[in-house]
Amino acid sequence: MAQAGCRKRKSPIESLIDSDAALRNHRLLVPDHGLYTGAYIEFGDREDDVTLEKIEAFEKLVNKHQAIVASSSYWGEQTFPGANLRLIARHESIPLVFWSPWDRPYEEGEPPGKFSLLRIIDGEHDRYIDMWADSARELGWPIMVSFANEMNGSWFPWSGLKYGGGTRVGDSSPPRYEGPETFKKAWRHIVDRVRARSATNIIWVLHLMVYSDPNEPWNLAANYYPGPDYVDWLGLSLYGSQFPSDESWAPFLPMLDWPYQELCAVDPTKPLMLCEWGAAELPALGDRAQWIRDAFNLMKSPKYSRLKAAVFWHERWQNGPGEDAGKYSNLRVNASPSSLEAYRHGVADPYFIGYPMLSSAPRR
Amino acid sequence: MFQDKQGRRWPRFRRVIVAWGAIAACGLVWFIWSILVRPEVRLPTSMRELKGRLKAAIKQSDQTPDDLKALEWKLLQEKLDARRPKEDAPKAPAASLAPRKPRNLSGEVRLGFYVDWDLNSRTSLEEHAASLTHLAPEWLSLVDTEGRLVFTPDAKLTRFAALHSLAVMPLLTNLAGDTWQPEAVENLAQGSSARRAQFIADLIGKLKQCKAAGVILNWEQLDPSYTDQYTTLVVEMAEALHDADLEIWLMVTPGEDLETWDLSALQLTVDRFVAVLLDENSETDPPGPIASMPWLEGWLKILGEFGEPGQWVGVLGAYAYDWNETTHKAESISFKDAMSRASYAGIDQTAVPLAVAAPNYNGIYSYSEPNGEHTVAFLDAISFYDQLRALRAAKLGGIGVSRLGNEDPQIWDTLDLKLVKNTPQTAAALKALGDLKASNTITHVGRGEVITVNDTRDDGKRSVDLDAAGNLKARYNEFPTYPTIYHQGAGEEHEVALTFDDGPDPVWTPQILDILKQRGVKACFFLVGRNAETYPRLVSRILSEGHEIGNHTYSHANLATMSPLRVKLEINMTQRVIESITGHSTTLFRPPYNADSSPARMEELIPLKIAQDELDYTLVMEGIDPQDWARPGADAIVQRVKEQRSEGNIVLLHDAGGDRSQTVEALPRIINYLRVRGDRIVSLGELLKIPRDELMPVPENDKGAMERMVAGTGFRVWHAIVEFFWAFMIFATVLVVLRTAIVAWLAHIHHREAEDAPLGTADLESGLPAVSVVIAAYNEGKVISKTLESVSASDYPSEMEIIVIDDGSRDDTAAEVERCAAADARVTLIRQPNRGKAVALRNGAAKTRHEIVVFLDADTLFERGTVTALVEPFRDPLVGAVSGNARVGNPRTFIARCQALEYICGFNLDRRAYTQWDCITVIPGAVSAIRRSALDAAGGFSEDTLAEDTDLTLTLHKLRYRMKFASGGVAWTEAPESLRGLAKQRFRWAFGTMQCLWKHRDMVFNPRYGALGWFSLPGIWFFQIGLVALIPLVDAILLWSIVFGHAAIIWYYFAVFLGMDLFLALIACWMEGEPLRRAWISIPMRLVYRPLLSWVIWRSILRAMKGALVGWGKLERTATVPSRA
Repeated sequence: MAQAGCRKRKSPIESLIDSDAALRNHRLLVPDHGLYTGAYIEFGDREDDVTLEKIEAFEKLVNKHQAIVASSSYWGEQTFPGANLRLIARHESIPLVFWSPWDRPYEEGEPPGKFSLLRIIDGEHDRYIDMWADSARELGWPIMVSFANEMNGSWFPWSGLKYGGGTRVGDSSPPRYEGPETFKKAWRHIVDRVRARSATNIIWVLHLMVYSDPNEPWNLAANYYPGPDYVDWLGLSLYGSQFPSDESWAPFLPMLDWPYQELCAVDPTKPLMLCEWGAAELPALGDRAQWIRDAFNLMKSPKYSRLKAAVFWHERWQNGPGEDAGKYSNLRVNASPSSLEAYRHGVADPYFIGYPMLSSAPRR
Repeated sequence: MFQDKQGRRWPRFRRVIVAWGAIAACGLVWFIWSILVRPEVRLPTSMRELKGRLKAAIKQSDQTPDDLKALEWKLLQEKLDARRPKEDAPKAPAASLAPRKPRNLSGEVRLGFYVDWDLNSRTSLEEHAASLTHLAPEWLSLVDTEGRLVFTPDAKLTRFAALHSLAVMPLLTNLAGDTWQPEAVENLAQGSSARRAQFIADLIGKLKQCKAAGVILNWEQLDPSYTDQYTTLVVEMAEALHDADLEIWLMVTPGEDLETWDLSALQLTVDRFVAVLLDENSETDPPGPIASMPWLEGWLKILGEFGEPGQWVGVLGAYAYDWNETTHKAESISFKDAMSRASYAGIDQTAVPLAVAAPNYNGIYSYSEPNGEHTVAFLDAISFYDQLRALRAAKLGGIGVSRLGNEDPQIWDTLDLKLVKNTPQTAAALKALGDLKASNTITHVGRGEVITVNDTRDDGKRSVDLDAAGNLKARYNEFPTYPTIYHQGAGEEHEVALTFDDGPDPVWTPQILDILKQRGVKACFFLVGRNAETYPRLVSRILSEGHEIGNHTYSHANLATMSPLRVKLEINMTQRVIESITGHSTTLFRPPYNADSSPARMEELIPLKIAQDELDYTLVMEGIDPQDWARPGADAIVQRVKEQRSEGNIVLLHDAGGDRSQTVEALPRIINYLRVRGDRIVSLGELLKIPRDELMPVPENDKGAMERMVAGTGFRVWHAIVEFFWAFMIFATVLVVLRTAIVAWLAHIHHREAEDAPLGTADLESGLPAVSVVIAAYNEGKVISKTLESVSASDYPSEMEIIVIDDGSRDDTAAEVERCAAADARVTLIRQPNRGKAVALRNGAAKTRHEIVVFLDADTLFERGTVTALVEPFRDPLVGAVSGNARVGNPRTFIARCQALEYICGFNLDRRAYTQWDCITVIPGAVSAIRRSALDAAGGFSEDTLAEDTDLTLTLHKLRYRMKFASGGVAWTEAPESLRGLAKQRFRWAFGTMQCLWKHRDMVFNPRYGALGWFSLPGIWFFQIGLVALIPLVDAILLWSIVFGHAAIIWYYFAVFLGMDLFLALIACWMEGEPLRRAWISIPMRLVYRPLLSWVIWRSILRAMKGALVGWGKLERTATVPSRA
């Protein structure tokens, strides 16, 4: 069966591989039933060391092709990750790019710097944006772009918190807040510029944290929504427990349920996705295999039918100074045999789609 | 016949032969010379040496004071101090953790780290086994999520270790390839106790299997969160291993490992801790010392706090790193590699000499080459001595050498060195350490699989001294050089080239070319000259489709095992073939069998040197070898390419040499894989940045054009000869089979008819005519009376006279005949002076009184019914002559037995067959009957030829008489029993037959003579002369094929010939009522008898050419030779 499938695919794949032109003029369809499965696969410190070997090793581990492969493009590099995205496209996956406006050495908790949202709004980085857009258009393959993700958190330099946060804009009514307003302005600036370069193959993903930090009204998802014309997908980062020092285990359901409702309310039409999801193997805290089983069961339950994609975060890292210094957070799918088995079993359900569905009509 | 009255034929013939021979010989010599003469290969200048392109500089290694790594131990020290309980009371060992037996820590452990993939590791072990006590091979690893135990033992090493009393302590790592898999250990440690027990039992089984003394745990990147679980696991392991009389050692990497492992708890159970005192800066770090002295001493201080110092083994580095600071890739290399690189980079020693000295006592230098800036750090015997000294000062229980094969060979001299300032012994030792001896170890410079070989070597010098601290220090004055391979062609990171060896092949090469064309890939084909010459069109196609062509020798020979002359011949012949087909020469060469880009043995370098230096080729090796020739399956081929991609960028595949369907299947998938991963599949020219026209230049017209022409013509002529030969073989085989079938069929019909119609006695008694029997005798005194008695005893019912002509015998022949005549009145003696057999017969025939004359040789015995059987066919008035059935009466020797079989199946079976179509070619003089009127009409016996019987037979055919074979007319004749006698007889027959054939050449293919003209006479020409003459050639090729294994197809032809012989022999024996086992002799007969016949035929042909010049005809006729059967 598998072989027959392979043979059928052979010629379109080879054309994708041999000709750059064949990558153009495809449009990613939103599945009516099921969701795309994808992963971020330990692409290194800058999250951009994408190799086919890593992708294939992961696919062999979970026994499923990845419809989406996530990686990053940090603004500090001032490059377009063309080689990475071409690799992913030729592998017949859709790239999800975390396009993150920060500078070396890329450390969380820093204040806005060279690539602050304000400077973006002021047009200081238009040349870079244009270059990026031109390169993306040239590639032509559908690219999901998550610009300035988790902006409702507190750790990245582009967090709303760092641009006036909940300070009310004048005497706006209903009230608008400095932080989210600055973010939306930057977002629209970027989308406008990219569209002006005709990079219509970019799919814009507004990518939030499941729960805002600080979890205050001004910091909620709706305040960051730049409008239906500027966003194609709405996404979330959903993590269970990640650190050995966590006080308790975070089950999947409450992490998903309220944020899902929140996003559904932000826009009733846009498809939803988990841009990142995962949990660390912490046997002292909880049963990760069960957590994964719960995740797959909930993702395919009709209650969350607007979820159309889920990207698993596959990484093991050693924690820096702090309570967990020297200890590891192991979010790899194969951190334990039981977790791996749970993931394999869950993702094997055909509800989780391994190849992107494309319409070959030019988009828009 | 063939007499040359003027005597001109032979000289003329000889002149022609000599002239043609001379021309052919000149052509051959010219051809060979054209091959031996070095074709004009112009090596692109950019490919000439790499040497000039390395530039070196000594890096001032003054960064040590603020080297953070060197001070890391201090941070940990503070941490440990803070953690340590205030009261310094030692922990009471828990009962369960106590070691089972008292630990024996006496004597210094000397542990060698061994790898099986580097020949130098093996060599080092063999040379220094006596300096070691323990050996650590990489035999075990724990991998995958669930902790699978992978075991790769080496029985040879086990035996070696036993022989040298080395305790084998295999490493148990958690490495999969070069990736650490911490989950494997973590999950095992956290898993069920049953799982752990199973693992431990499995481990012990494997350790016992490889006769290990224990195991060394080398687990890295473990999460320190699970320290307690690791302790439990190791304690469980230790208890079980100790019960099994095995030791357990634990490798500890300074730094985080001190937090991962609870050394305080483990010191009670683990036999030894192995401190890894190296990799201060590893491959993944920026360049820096591998193990600086302050770093090492700091860690020693900390390690001393765990267990007793004697429990510790300190592993010292004995290797080097080469960091490419441009590509951020590092290579682990040997000390000798580091020396070679320094030497060829040409470090300027006058400015800042390279020193190994305080504070870090590591050697560090930098160089640059086109692909980037490099920094090399190395550890040598000097640093080894200093570190050893530190270890011993800290009272450690032993040392480890990491690793065998990469070390400065002089580290072994420092193991027992005692240096005291200002003593003569010390001075001598320092001087000895200063001599850097060159060796046969092959070193490597650069990256890539296009190589240049340099086999020169030179000793080096360093000045060694003791410094104030009592440590050794050294300054490198001259670097030693070793046989070195310069590597080029690593290309850009994502460049990769495909190469195909051994072609072209008519089946697979076109398929591969189609795929390459469809996918727009350019590759390089390394052609085997023999194949290129056979399929020139494919060679042209390869070139016209934009691919490159390289030289892969003429016969795919292993150059490492042959003479330099043969190496040149192999390479030049291939070059000539390529030139003559494509008009391009090639500068690319790849040796068969040893295309690995890191030849490890000197003998592999020699042919490469010839190709490179004398013939000026670029040596293209490979880095990715999926071994597709072994047909492991397309999946495996693709998988191996994937696994090896990180190790090289020239892929070796094969388009010939067997069934390459798997390669054809794998190729598109390999292309997919490479392209998806972002590689550009480039030609070798692109990889080397050399235009195709330089790699494959058009030879200049004014240079070597003649040689090219001669070589090309030579190949074509040789080709034509080979093709003609095979065509001839096919033709001959078909004819042999056809003839065998016809003869067998006709003989069968004759046999059946003869059986059906036995001679009736009634018939016999009525109307058989009177006969005359004529016997010509010359010196036959010994046998003639027996012969006469056999004739007298005939049961012939009618009148018979017996006439003996004594041809001037010098023995008692006449007397014997007179004696017989007295007994039997029918016998008459006629005497004549010696005139030869034909005259004697003519004389005898003239004296006969009866119409039917029976002839027989004086040494031939009749059976009782022979005369009757011979006469019987004459009832048919058209029958002119009847052949009897001559048989060998003396089958005592092998030669005679061969003839016996030959008479049965060669002569008589033929006659049986021929009689059916009335095309008998010879009525043998030994036993025959002839109608007197026919004999007279033919003019009697002629003296024209040596074979008067054949001559007469053919003459009778011309007169339209019929010839018959009487199988009942049996006569036992005497065959020559020696080779010499046989040769003499057969020479006479062969020459006589050729004379007859020539005399009666008008009969061949003459429709008037029917089967005789179209079947039996041409048969003599082809089968008895042509084929017999050529058979030795077939035999020679057969022998050649046995010895060299080529042209094995000849065996089929040979088998067919042999099969036909055997088949005829079997049916002949059956028809003659002989035992069938006699037929088997036809097989050895082929090997012994046929060469003799061939020689006879060749001699006859030559004699025929010479004609009367020798004037032998008359002379021969007076000699007595047993007559024709």
